[in-house]
Amino acid sequence: MRLYADSSKCSGCNACRVACSLNLFGESNPKKAALVIEPHFPAEGVYKVRVCTQCGYCAAVCPTEAIVKNDRGAWYVNFAECNLCEACVPECPEDVMFLRAEMANTAWECDLCGDCVAVCGTNALWIAE
Amino acid sequence: MSATLRPSGALKSYIGERDEVQVESGRTVRETLVLLGIPPEIIALVVVNGEQQAKDYVIQEGDTIKALAVIGGG
Amino acid sequence: MLNGYGGQILRVNLTEGKISKEPTPPELARDFIGGRGFGAYFLFKEVPKGADPLGAQNKLIISSGPFSGMLVPGGGKCDWTTKSPLTGGYASASLGGHFTAEMKYAGLDSIILEGISPKPVYLFIEDDKIELRDAADLWGKGAIQVEKQFKDKLGEEYQVAVIGPGGEKLVSYASINHDYGRQAGRGGVGTVMGVKKVKAIVIRGTRSVPVADKEAYRQAGMALYKACKEAEFLPEWTRYGTTVVTSWCDEVGALPTRNFSAGSFEGGKTLYGPVMRETIVITDKGCFGCPSPCGKYSRSKKYNLEVEGPEYETIGMMGSNLGISDIEAVAKLNLLCDDLGIDTISAGSAIGWAMECYEKGIFTQKDTDGLDLKFGNVEAAFSLVEKIANKEGLGALLSEGVKKASKKIGQGSEKFAIHVKGMEQSAYATHNATAMLISYMTSDVGAHHNRAWAITYDLQVGRDKVVPEKVARVIWLQNFRPMFDVLGGCRLQWVELGIDRDLYVPAIEAITGIRRTWEDLEKTGERIWNLTRLFWARENEDFGREWDMPAPRFYEEPPTTGVTKGQITKLEDVNKLLDMYYEQRGWTSEGMPTSAKLEQLGMAELVA
Repeated sequence: MRLYADSSKCSGCNACRVACSLNLFGESNPKKAALVIEPHFPAEGVYKVRVCTQCGYCAAVCPTEAIVKNDRGAWYVNFAECNLCEACVPECPEDVMFLRAEMANTAWECDLCGDCVAVCGTNALWIAE
Repeated sequence: MSATLRPSGALKSYIGERDEVQVESGRTVRETLVLLGIPPEIIALVVVNGEQQAKDYVIQEGDTIKALAVIGGG
Repeated sequence: MLNGYGGQILRVNLTEGKISKEPTPPELARDFIGGRGFGAYFLFKEVPKGADPLGAQNKLIISSGPFSGMLVPGGGKCDWTTKSPLTGGYASASLGGHFTAEMKYAGLDSIILEGISPKPVYLFIEDDKIELRDAADLWGKGAIQVEKQFKDKLGEEYQVAVIGPGGEKLVSYASINHDYGRQAGRGGVGTVMGVKKVKAIVIRGTRSVPVADKEAYRQAGMALYKACKEAEFLPEWTRYGTTVVTSWCDEVGALPTRNFSAGSFEGGKTLYGPVMRETIVITDKGCFGCPSPCGKYSRSKKYNLEVEGPEYETIGMMGSNLGISDIEAVAKLNLLCDDLGIDTISAGSAIGWAMECYEKGIFTQKDTDGLDLKFGNVEAAFSLVEKIANKEGLGALLSEGVKKASKKIGQGSEKFAIHVKGMEQSAYATHNATAMLISYMTSDVGAHHNRAWAITYDLQVGRDKVVPEKVARVIWLQNFRPMFDVLGGCRLQWVELGIDRDLYVPAIEAITGIRRTWEDLEKTGERIWNLTRLFWARENEDFGREWDMPAPRFYEEPPTTGVTKGQITKLEDVNKLLDMYYEQRGWTSEGMPTSAKLEQLGMAELVA
């Protein structure tokens, strides 16, 4: 299972990213979300969404084995084990592995909670095999 | 009785607080609304089977008609 | 720590270049909640009586609310309050987009711009790093270009609110632009930013907002989103946005046509929502947290441009109101206004008035700098928008708004200057819609629709009926709907999707820790309504009943075409509506809150 996005349906509202940060960190802070909306305005006038594909490349390079699978079968970062080494970040082909030390004392990624899907009014996000 | 009319929230009071009502085919949407006691001019949008239609659309067998009133406003 | 709030008020003294912060007073949060409530409070308490809207004493107050930046549908609204250079009274404009969320993340509930900067600056805010920076190289540039420049340089996490040349040159209805197509549009908030020489505000915050009960907040937020997503008409509202009403307004005679001389337009069909969707819309564009994005981003091949919109008001005011039936031309007018930084509603009204003056022979080509200013002349309209923003020729007169312009020109042109209190009426024709008429007459900023929108109520009750129920409905809407602007949220999920407004109650409680029912909220709405009324009276010596009168067109000149042909509201009914309104509000026959009313609302001390 993984998260999918149809960028053509995205309206750039960022509700998904607020829901994401609330799930991951218990905070309302879209800058601490695990998916990205890139606005392209004024031209070409579209949003591009990037999400975790659960490829696991991040886990493969993690020296502390902080990136493990949860009971949904999704890779996630065990915050307590992350040593902020950043090895995972460049491995991510979608650029949705995050480490922003000024905001959180850990790396983070999508753990497939599904809250982003629940709040997306335009059905731009879904979870499937 | 062969089509379904689903009015938007504020219009449900016109049909006994139900979500939908069965209506006859062969009449226009406008005539049907009048028969239900819904003033046609408060309907902003008529959608039949997912396509926008005019109030003069003649209801066909099996249609699902959504009627949207803008009660709350702009 | 104030749950649900950024926690601080930022003051920027532009005259001295001084920046300071103070904690958001808990009693202010308790009594005025946020957003438009904070704006009204600071305006009333801090802008001295008689202050020149374009002087150093006026302030521009920018406020988020408890919903802003939170997991609440539509939590992307920001209030911009000032003493209006257009009307001389209260101005409060609502801005969508993502600005208000960033304010909260930067820990700010209000930003108060005071004084006048000696040179063009922009305000840069990044959490605690707050600076006034030189804007000499930005001055004179279009709003869209400037926003793009900041985003290219700083990145997409920064939000930008910017004025165009119209604001710099002090057009009375200059707007503030954000997110390539969202505006704080009405009442000249951009003019005040312009006179203060603040070209832009750039903001980014990285903090999280504290809430009273995290789990209850999450549940309440998710329940609100669920209700929106299950709403029967979510797909249609998303597909068409506010243009759902274009065809309907035409059908019922509410579509402003040729300077409101009629309410339906023979060329209207090519402006309708589905036509626009098929011909120019490319993307649905939402404000922060919005599950039902009304923003339509469009591309016009004919004019080779991209623009957010046009939305219904702009279609009405710059389409049918100018006799223009080409949606792509309206899109271009929309973009010109946004980039030049002027309000499409007031500009559409000013151009419509000028076109009528021209057709009546009050203006000749000598007055119009050679423009053949007939209704429907698209090129003339393009040209006039630029002249207004740059205050060139006839544009200079029109930049003052139709009230002042018609007073200068005279010759009966005051009768078709379509405004209340100096604010141009937005895009609903009210020849025969008495609830909507009294709504415009009594709106707290002038003739704007967002406080109380009651046209369907007119149709339900009987449009020419003058009955207390209509007035009661308008008063209820005026107390209730602006509370979304107080909370920092958007009313359209309630208005359009029809979600149960009680779903917001647990969200407010979980976020702020204060339980407020809609009854409580409407009481707050009523207090703010009375406060802004007192502001009008304080700032205008002759303020009273006359100020609430609509344009004479709506009681003297029945349309000669369209579905409202021959229909008009009688002057005695206009007066009857006002009498009923004042009585139900607990105001005097001159429209002033009585001391008993203020006592009842617990406001006597506040306004003493």
